[in-house]
Amino acid sequence: MMIGAAEARAESVLTMHIEEQTSWVQNFNPFDLGGRRQSTMDFVYEPLVIFNDYDGGKPVFRLATAYKFADDLKSITYTLRDGVKWSDGKPLTSADMKFTLEMMLKNPAVDTVGVGETVASVEAPSPTEVKINLKDVDTHFPESLADFPVVPEHIWKDVKDPLAFKNETPVGSGPMTEIRRFTPQVYEQCRNPNYWDAATLKVDCLKLPQISGNDQMLALLPEGAIDWFGSFLPQIDKTYVGLDAEHNGYWQPPAETVAFQMNFKSSSPGNAEAFNDMTFRRAFSLAMDRTAMVDIAGFGYPVVNNHASGLPPRFDSWRNKAAEGAQDEWLAYDIDKANKLLDDAGYKKDGEGFRTTTSGKPIAFPIIVPNGWTDWIDAVQIAAEGLRKIGVNASVATPEYEQWQKQILDGSFEAVMNSRADGPTPFRGYFQSLSTGFGGRITSAPSRYSNPDLDKVFDDYRRAATDEERKKLFDQVQVIVADNLPVVPVFNGPTWYQYSTKRFTGWVTKDEPVMNPEDHDNNRMRLVHLLRLKPVQ
Amino acid sequence: MRLSRRRLTVYCVAFLFAIVMNFAVPRLMPGSPVDSMIAQLGPRATPAAVEAIKARFGAIEQPIWQQFADYVVGLAHFDLGVSVKYYPQTVLEVLGRSAGWTAFLVVTAIVFSLCVGVLLGAIAAWRRGGRFDSFVSPFSVVMIAVPPVIIALATLFTFGVTLRLLPVGYAYDPSLDPGLNFTFFGSVFLHAIMPVLTLSPYLIGEFQTTMRSSMISVLGEDYVTMGRAKGLSEAAVMFGYAARNAMLPVLTNLALMLGAVFGGSIVTEIVFNYPGLGLTLYTASVARDYPVIQGQLLLMTIATLGANLLVDIIYGVVDPRIREGRA
Repeated sequence: MMIGAAEARAESVLTMHIEEQTSWVQNFNPFDLGGRRQSTMDFVYEPLVIFNDYDGGKPVFRLATAYKFADDLKSITYTLRDGVKWSDGKPLTSADMKFTLEMMLKNPAVDTVGVGETVASVEAPSPTEVKINLKDVDTHFPESLADFPVVPEHIWKDVKDPLAFKNETPVGSGPMTEIRRFTPQVYEQCRNPNYWDAATLKVDCLKLPQISGNDQMLALLPEGAIDWFGSFLPQIDKTYVGLDAEHNGYWQPPAETVAFQMNFKSSSPGNAEAFNDMTFRRAFSLAMDRTAMVDIAGFGYPVVNNHASGLPPRFDSWRNKAAEGAQDEWLAYDIDKANKLLDDAGYKKDGEGFRTTTSGKPIAFPIIVPNGWTDWIDAVQIAAEGLRKIGVNASVATPEYEQWQKQILDGSFEAVMNSRADGPTPFRGYFQSLSTGFGGRITSAPSRYSNPDLDKVFDDYRRAATDEERKKLFDQVQVIVADNLPVVPVFNGPTWYQYSTKRFTGWVTKDEPVMNPEDHDNNRMRLVHLLRLKPVQ
Repeated sequence: MRLSRRRLTVYCVAFLFAIVMNFAVPRLMPGSPVDSMIAQLGPRATPAAVEAIKARFGAIEQPIWQQFADYVVGLAHFDLGVSVKYYPQTVLEVLGRSAGWTAFLVVTAIVFSLCVGVLLGAIAAWRRGGRFDSFVSPFSVVMIAVPPVIIALATLFTFGVTLRLLPVGYAYDPSLDPGLNFTFFGSVFLHAIMPVLTLSPYLIGEFQTTMRSSMISVLGEDYVTMGRAKGLSEAAVMFGYAARNAMLPVLTNLALMLGAVFGGSIVTEIVFNYPGLGLTLYTASVARDYPVIQGQLLLMTIATLGANLLVDIIYGVVDPRIREGRA
């Protein structure tokens, strides 16, 4: 009945919950983003380099020991770690990496990192060196390769359809490659007999029981069988810590910025006119009761973001104070000021008390939020109430997630509350959500914002050769964003991380915030986190 | 045991109707499997990867008539297609691993409820108006009315979370390997207790009510009076003479209720994380996995129609009067 029944005491088995599923399917194909078990990356396929966003984006070298751009920045050479073996004992060489990259170039369906857009060709000058020739200068390239899995050529060269391949018994490079037990209800993934960093690894097996949702998780918690997970637990001090205060802990640091994004290319002329007017966006921002959103809608877990630049707190080392100050005033909750701002700018009220644009066109828009995302729906409700207080006819619409996404991608929505996917440095989030090129192509870029000045800085950033230069350019990004307020930041959602010290120690805690502690698939640092853990004697 | 031609026609029409509905209903939901698959990928999906996925599952974006033709041809070959959510598993594989658990759950619940409900109904009718009857019979009506989700949550909270007497999920202890041994069967039994108890109240209530009213009319028959006159024991008259004959309407009722039992099992399986068809249908609906939804609905239709057919046949066996050609 107990998930972590007292079995094989000699082995240290770490019980984790990474993904919600109703039944496990044995699929360890790193290229099948939707179907792969979420313990495939990092644990079966080790990354080349991990960038630690809690440490200023510094590289943690794993399969690679270095990378270097050529002087003309048109190519990059990775040096692979010497003596690394695949779990079946065969050596891992530059040929494997070249093979994997070329497979992605040939077959866009498995191009999970987007090398098709940036890589021209790949060479392997020596068994430990891989030279990647780029189509264009892009010094941001190593970061985009952060999610890249190197697979063994001697296994994958015979695979006809690399996306349909289930890779049930993977041959990998990471610490946990041996699938010892696999049933629809639980699977165990154990120690790689040939792991290069075996001396650091103190955990013998990962055990992943199938759990279908948060409710299931809440019911299972009293058994105290799960060591590392990341679930939304309401009243966590009571529902989790209270069960075993001595061992149970959590740390939920603020993650990516959640912001209201408006469709600058809206098909409604009134809305488009308002959205494109900075005064309107500032009034919009002043109508946001961010504290209520955090406390009422978010159970107090998120953190208010009151920077006009929208910089997430975890990137504090990148913060440009010059972008704050005056512009941050627009992020206070001040209905009177917002009303005055709109009155002065000429947004007159019609018969029903709703404002029209300065040219007299009606403004009315729903803010879309996926059905079922209850905390977000509540936050949007609070936003709509605030907007109505300043005479803006805003409402809440809750389409299904698929519809929500579709409206964002085809541009038929008016306004949305959305987060962006941050990378190890703040650059990727800003670049993808605010550059002209990405507008409407991914869900993080709904607003279709286009600012030539910003695009120029983004471009320079991707050509910058040194960290110092990048930092300076990102300072400019923050100033431009804060001055123009293209999106209205409201809060930073939490990172989901809970742990138990009953069987393992070495957890990352808030007293030692050295890395993103999550065990989810979006966090490559989870590999380093695993290597910190030690079984309790 | 021949069935009338008219009855068989009814079954065929119902089956054809179900085939069309199974095709149409999932497609009436907003969103498509390709959308939801891309949604799963999130911002990681590059435009090239999205195009590639669209090409791979392109069949789903073909014109409706083409999809319908493929669907019917597939059905004829027992090929229900490939799951989108559990790609590259086939629908038969996905349904195969869960159908057994649902069948086990539903059959156990029915057998259990049938025994309890019929017994309670018989006793209530035998002493109608008595203290037992005046408590049990209204209570049955309450049990029919309470939705399974409430019972499921209350049971889960009481026995699973608060008292921690029973496991809160899975069909058996995940650390066991399925096998023909006592430990495994014991675990399956333990894990089935709460789901079965959740499904049962509705069934017990229905069986009790039907049995009671049927029994009351049977008790007025001459052969019951004769049994008593012969000086047979109360139990012998009650079960040997009256209850046996009063069972017939209960059987009819059972066939009619199968759909409701399956419906109840969906909720129960979701609450108890039980790996049956209900949980699969729920996941498939969320993922817009048309092939799995279609296959699942088809399976349920066949199960319900099959059960009705079976009851028709059994009825003929139990009650010779309705056999064709002798009426």
